[in-house]
Amino acid sequence: MAIISAQKTPARPAPLSDTTVIGWLRINLFSSWINVILTVVSLYIIFVAVKGIWVWGIQDAVWSAETRRECFKISKDGACWAGVLNWMDSIFYGRYPREELWRINIGGLLLVLWMAPLWLPRVKGKVFIGLTTVFLYPFLAGYFFSGGEKGIFMQIMISAAIVCLAANTLHSALGVFANSSLSEFLIRVTGTGKASEKTQRNMLIGLLALALVAVFLWQMSWHLESVTWTKWGGLFLTLVISGIGIASALPGGIILALGRRSKLPVIKVISTTFIELFRSVPLITVLFMATTMFPLFMPDGFVLNKLVQVIIAVCLFNACYMAEVVRAGLQAIPKGQAEGAHTIGLGYWGTMGLIIMPQALKVMIPNIVGSFIGILKDTTLVSIIGLFDILGMLRAISEDVFWRGLHHEPLLFGAGLFFIICFVMSKYSRHLEAKLSTDHKD
Amino acid sequence: MIVLAARDSIGTSTHIKPKEQFNLFQDTRVRSALYQVLTILIVGWGIWYLISNTAHNLDRLGMNTGFGFISTAAGFDTDFKLIEYEPGVGTYGRIFLVGALNTLLVSILAIVASTIFGFIVGVLRLSDNWLIARLSLAYVEVIRNTPLLLQVIFWYIGVFSILPRVKNSIDLSGGAEVLVLNNRGLYGGWPVPGDLFWLTTATFVASIIGAFLLARWARKRRDNLGLQFPTVRACLALLIVPATVVFLLTGSPMGWDIPTLQGFNFVGGFTLPPAFLALLVALIVYHAAHLAEAVRAGILSVSRGQSDAAKSIGLSSNRIMSLVIIPQAMRSIMPPMISLWMNVVKNSTLAVAIGYGDLVALFMQTALNQAGYAVEMVGMTMAFYMTISLTISWVLNVYNKRVQLVER
Repeated sequence: MAIISAQKTPARPAPLSDTTVIGWLRINLFSSWINVILTVVSLYIIFVAVKGIWVWGIQDAVWSAETRRECFKISKDGACWAGVLNWMDSIFYGRYPREELWRINIGGLLLVLWMAPLWLPRVKGKVFIGLTTVFLYPFLAGYFFSGGEKGIFMQIMISAAIVCLAANTLHSALGVFANSSLSEFLIRVTGTGKASEKTQRNMLIGLLALALVAVFLWQMSWHLESVTWTKWGGLFLTLVISGIGIASALPGGIILALGRRSKLPVIKVISTTFIELFRSVPLITVLFMATTMFPLFMPDGFVLNKLVQVIIAVCLFNACYMAEVVRAGLQAIPKGQAEGAHTIGLGYWGTMGLIIMPQALKVMIPNIVGSFIGILKDTTLVSIIGLFDILGMLRAISEDVFWRGLHHEPLLFGAGLFFIICFVMSKYSRHLEAKLSTDHKD
Repeated sequence: MIVLAARDSIGTSTHIKPKEQFNLFQDTRVRSALYQVLTILIVGWGIWYLISNTAHNLDRLGMNTGFGFISTAAGFDTDFKLIEYEPGVGTYGRIFLVGALNTLLVSILAIVASTIFGFIVGVLRLSDNWLIARLSLAYVEVIRNTPLLLQVIFWYIGVFSILPRVKNSIDLSGGAEVLVLNNRGLYGGWPVPGDLFWLTTATFVASIIGAFLLARWARKRRDNLGLQFPTVRACLALLIVPATVVFLLTGSPMGWDIPTLQGFNFVGGFTLPPAFLALLVALIVYHAAHLAEAVRAGILSVSRGQSDAAKSIGLSSNRIMSLVIIPQAMRSIMPPMISLWMNVVKNSTLAVAIGYGDLVALFMQTALNQAGYAVEMVGMTMAFYMTISLTISWVLNVYNKRVQLVER
């Protein structure tokens, strides 16, 4: 017997035990007696911890005071955030002269302005923008941060950086609002749209040269107070060191990884030795080596300051770690890709740059970001060899006359700051990974 | 047939192959040789340049060189050492040993504990209890996203240095006063073997061999006859019972050196300074969080069908974990675990920030500042870490290969 109905039988609602709050609790928290015990115990632990933190860190905390003694007077068992707040400038900028702080802020803003187009849709030539960030921005920022007399090379690089930044920004604005590029815009403005390609190119080069000369003349009158590197510190110094480390780790790592996978035995052996050498020793020994042995390596009369020594050590160390990340990414690309590239006549660099690397870099994103986070965290080690990075500054608070013995609050603040930066970075990498993923799972 | 034909056509077509035109700059062999020679020249020149500069500078600054310092007496002391060392008598070579042993002690303890702890947290991350899974996630994220050095310093200054003074020590053994904790460190009893203790030791060694043989016999019997044998229980009994009986029969030849409060401090037993405890705890907590992620990823990499199939043949969830999931997950857990263990050894150098006398703190910092010999001391320290790292990676790679073979 068959029952045939014209109507589709409506789906029955899910059982109450699956949909209600109580049902959810039963499934997720109290599914077995062991889970009941675990839930109750962890609820109790959470309650105690949250209450303790609330009472100590917020309810009984002191937010404004002049000394630690004053903190104690106001509240005996609460946190003394006043110390952290009083030192806030030092935590972020170290001992940088207070009236010159705007230079660091401008430097940071310029970086944001420079890199922002990378996140904007419809902007063309992102690779170029990324490359100029790595190769030109450091000169501009370096001048802003250290100031003082600038040599002719520095002046040229600064002018180039400024022109480039202006062009980038204009280009991106055009891209976003008018959906065109800077060169198209210039050609339209100058009315050379009908002229030959050669005229157009000459015109563009001429404009570029004109802008360079103008900016060069303009920047000659700039004068910034010199600030020695010993005054640099706090989060600013941490970001400078790790920023340079990050910017150099990827190119360095790619070169080393290609060397390690090279078919030429000599290059392979040298790269492998170099990578394994640095990967098998701790960073702190590399930093000690930098401060004790780099001066011996240098020729007579050539003195590297400690900051440069540290930066070189951090760059070498991280390039080797990045090399292994890149190598893993390269191995994930099937051999057919390289063979296909060869059959259409691409050489080694064409295959690597156009076919293998773009795919491999995409695979590597989570690991690359992981390494970046690692670099940022590892940079705190420079406080051991006497640089006042953020950790050095946080510890210096407890040695201040007014805040002697204030340990917990600065360290917790620093931990929170690092947590936010690193957590956001890792979440963003997950997002990027999902966005760029081209394989069709599910 | 087709293959033959193809071979024929190749054989006959050789004479129409275009004549190879030798171009000095386009030939792959010439170019690769050229590149390699160039690389050797550049790298060689770089190394020679650095060495000659170093030699010149050492000469100019009148710095001492050579390894003679190893047998010279060192003038400083360290508060934690596993072997005899006296300042003014002990040599720099001895200092190297003291530091190396301190590094190894804290690393090995941290490796063992963080592996166990990391596995537990990794499994808890996948718990079907929502709260437990979230708590483990919070632990992992917080620990992984803050610098280890900050954690080490926090454990040292924030936890182990503000413990009660000696007089109000915390008694961890519940009133027996054999394990006490205060701001000077952890004090505990230390067993002192008596005259006939060697008999117990010998019995125990014999039991280990016996248990090993028993396990092998049981496995063989299971493979051949399909009969189960309670191996774990039998082996445990074999390990515990005979040794205990011999120990009691010989009159319990074991004394305890228990720390007692004398004057202002505890005397006797073993002492672990706060710096050691802080470093150890920080290393365990930090690396366990990293391992937990690797364990979780490994377990997730085992396809769901495996646990479904195991459930369908009636295995309990514990046995599914231990017999089906974990052995397969080990394949992908092993490589990150290798690098994690090496990281523990490398990160133990953060001891230098809190004054625990590890190899870097004693040899590369204090000894180097006192005696000079920068090149030699840096070289020796780095060689030590290189040896450890390469040994760990070699041993675990061998194991890794064995695990990988199971793969179909």
